Amino acid sequence: MTSGRECFPTENGDLHEDVKRHYRKTMSGFVIQDKVAKLLSRQNGKPVLRPIKPLALKNEVASRRMKKGEATCVTEMSLLMACWKLNDFNNAVCSKEVSAFYTCVEKAQSKAKGKQGTQD
Amino acid sequence: MAASVRHLLKPWTPSLCLVRWSRYNPYYLDPDPSKDACVPESEISPEQKELQELKTVRPIKAALSSDTSSSFNDPLISKFINMMMQDGNKILARGIMTQTLESIKRKQVEKYHKSPAAKKEEIECNPYTIFHLGLENCKPIIGLASVQKGGKSYQVPVPLTDNRRRFLAMKWMITECRDNKHRRTHMYEKLSQELLAAFANEGNVVKRKHDLHKMAEANRAYAHYRWW
Repeated sequence: MTSGRECFPTENGDLHEDVKRHYRKTMSGFVIQDKVAKLLSRQNGKPVLRPIKPLALKNEVASRRMKKGEATCVTEMSLLMACWKLNDFNNAVCSKEVSAFYTCVEKAQSKAKGKQGTQD
Repeated sequence: MAASVRHLLKPWTPSLCLVRWSRYNPYYLDPDPSKDACVPESEISPEQKELQELKTVRPIKAALSSDTSSSFNDPLISKFINMMMQDGNKILARGIMTQTLESIKRKQVEKYHKSPAAKKEEIECNPYTIFHLGLENCKPIIGLASVQKGGKSYQVPVPLTDNRRRFLAMKWMITECRDNKHRRTHMYEKLSQELLAAFANEGNVVKRKHDLHKMAEANRAYAHYRWW
């Protein structure tokens, strides 16, 4: 890179050749590997890095703090419990509330699974 | 001396080779041992067709040795037998199960013949339906989970998954029959008594389910402590 004119794009709207070459060199893994090798080597005194795990990125990102959700199906549960209290915990009489509770629970579970799927 | 040392030179291979692992790649599909009758192409919905095509292409897990294609294969009863089994003695557990079903049938048939003609149709003689319905009557609807809030742990009423409910019903049935009955009665006898009682919504297992419901009802104020 000789003059400062390399910073500006050329007439075609493309970058200067030298700039592109520089980018290609840094983008290739060789430059980074050389730097890492220099940090790990013992030739120039003690090595700068002493890694315990291999110096490689993982395939996933660390999870963010979960948002605190709220209790699902509380209304259905309270209706069911009221029915139980009236009918002495007889499930045959409260079958409507029971089925409503089950449908609510299934919906909530499928929603939670879908949300988990999109998050991961 | 040389003969004893020689086996150390051989590479170690396991004497039992694993045929079915419990951790498969999720790409593998479950085996379907049932012998389905061949349904004509027109009657299959597009989703079913897609499922069938998927089965021909995707890898499938190895079937368990307890899976059969016979019409007597009942997954609920197989699960119950596995839960009753101790030290891997599947033969004994299966024997107890068949004896239980037989004794249920005997009792019900006796009741059938002794009852007047009007009441004969109400008596259920099929031991499999009695088992299924009895277990359904033992399944809890709401469970309790321990949630810590502000340094104190509370018992919070929580909806349960189907698997958890089935497991609890079976576990209660088995522990009830093992612990709370007379020492000298056979397991199949205890199980048949308890299953017939559960079928009629009586007995200790159904009582335990009601106790759990009552606890959940008493703690309904803590229902908002849940975050899922």
